Amino acid sequence: MSNITSLRNVAVVGFAQAPIVARDEHHTAQEMLFPQVRRALADCGVERSAIDYQVAGSSDYIDGRPFGFVAALDVMGAWPPTQDLHLEMDAAFAAYYAWVRMQAGECDTAIVCGYGKTSEGEPRRLLNLQLDPYYHAAIGLDGLSTAALQASAYMARTGANDRDLAEIAARNRAAGARHPEAQLRTPATADELQRTPWAVEPLRQGYVPPIGESAVCLVLAAEGKAERMCDRPVWIQGIDHRTEMQTLGARDLFRSAGAKLAADKALAMAGLRSARDADVIELSAATPAEELILCEAVGLDARAARPAINPSGGPLVGHPLMLTGLMRMGEVFHQLAGRADGRAVAGAKRGIAHATSGHCLQQNLFVVLGSERRWT
Amino acid sequence: MSEPPKEPIKYVDADVHLPYHYVAGDHRARYLRALKDKKILGSKCAKTGKVFVPPIINSPESFAPADELVEVADRGVVTTFCVVNIPVIGREIELPYVAASVALDGADISIFALIQECKPADVRMGMRVEAVWKPDNERQGDHEDIRYFRPTGEPDAPMESFIHRL
Repeated sequence: MSNITSLRNVAVVGFAQAPIVARDEHHTAQEMLFPQVRRALADCGVERSAIDYQVAGSSDYIDGRPFGFVAALDVMGAWPPTQDLHLEMDAAFAAYYAWVRMQAGECDTAIVCGYGKTSEGEPRRLLNLQLDPYYHAAIGLDGLSTAALQASAYMARTGANDRDLAEIAARNRAAGARHPEAQLRTPATADELQRTPWAVEPLRQGYVPPIGESAVCLVLAAEGKAERMCDRPVWIQGIDHRTEMQTLGARDLFRSAGAKLAADKALAMAGLRSARDADVIELSAATPAEELILCEAVGLDARAARPAINPSGGPLVGHPLMLTGLMRMGEVFHQLAGRADGRAVAGAKRGIAHATSGHCLQQNLFVVLGSERRWT
Repeated sequence: MSEPPKEPIKYVDADVHLPYHYVAGDHRARYLRALKDKKILGSKCAKTGKVFVPPIINSPESFAPADELVEVADRGVVTTFCVVNIPVIGREIELPYVAASVALDGADISIFALIQECKPADVRMGMRVEAVWKPDNERQGDHEDIRYFRPTGEPDAPMESFIHRL
């Protein structure tokens, strides 16, 4: 167990995101990414040469090519020869990796990129292939059905019902209507969402996101450089990542032990007692049931007004798979840096961003962010 | 608990079928469409003026955008090459054959091309070549619109003219 008493202060200093769309007919995945990298750097007032390190999160199976991620090198900037890392995970985990390298003193600035055109393949097929090939993939389970299994288990344990899911979904749809880059930009009431047909019971079509595509670039900088790149750097105060077992049947799906532990660790690193000390929290909850499970894991009432939950609308209004977690970090950055026009959470000084990977919230990453430096 | 079966199931077949429907992207789409008209397009780096063929949206070297499309010639010089003696998956082609990098006139990087209508032993760095196109009514707007490149018979290009365009 580490007794870290002092770490480097690292901040999010920039974030650029393309609109989440069902299919961009004019640009390849890399061509979607390039303008976001340019914009993120321009917003920070730096050239590419000011960036020491670059990381990305994407899935070769979404790209449809083994080692397909190398195609992004040319639009992230790989000349002169640069240090680079790719993770076959949500780009938020790549941000964690960049943070770790900064703690080691190996770099002071980094770009974190996420990209991938889910429209070019069949994401549901991929999420089936992600499962155990002998017992689970063979019977046709996919991301939607495993999420439904988890929702069902949670509802049986807690008594949460269809209406509860509808209300959470409606809250996210209302928020999404205020987000210029969301894919679903029309609000919907709980009544309307409850009338949508079942996708996989107990999840209605109104409770599950469209799978879209986008491109994102987030910029990290250590203390000393961050202040020159952003007028209001948003400092990472705590961060942690935990994974649960792979064997789906062995896990307690009705709660997220991994989310609880990761959140506890991140909050402790940040010196906070609970998630209720935050002003805003962005959860990578692809369904209202996941949102309820995550709120319970971090000790939040899903209906409380503070912290504001998913002011971006969350994944329900746009879920580009490998970018979703980094978009949560980007939203918290925008909120705390005063750049969330039209959906600002008033007086937000502390925020939490969550990312997940794997079926049924198997992996969970929590980042605690704030307007103040954590370590002096 | 009974004994495990004497004839355990040892193998499970998993047929994976993942179809992809790629977006060409506007730059590539224009390049492919232009092949139908026997035109080869490249894109020009806004910072250095370097021309990349096929066109890409930015220079990987300077990081600047490369939005401007320019036409390059359908002839150029062999910058480097190899003689292939083993069959290639997915293509029917007579062995041995010459696969070459060809720097087209006006382009700053090379494309990959098949060299035919000569003996493999005759191919050399600096050899001037020209595209052999499919006939007008057969071109589809894809890479097969250029069948191959053949020597023009012109004098070889000096190494200084192509050494940076390999």
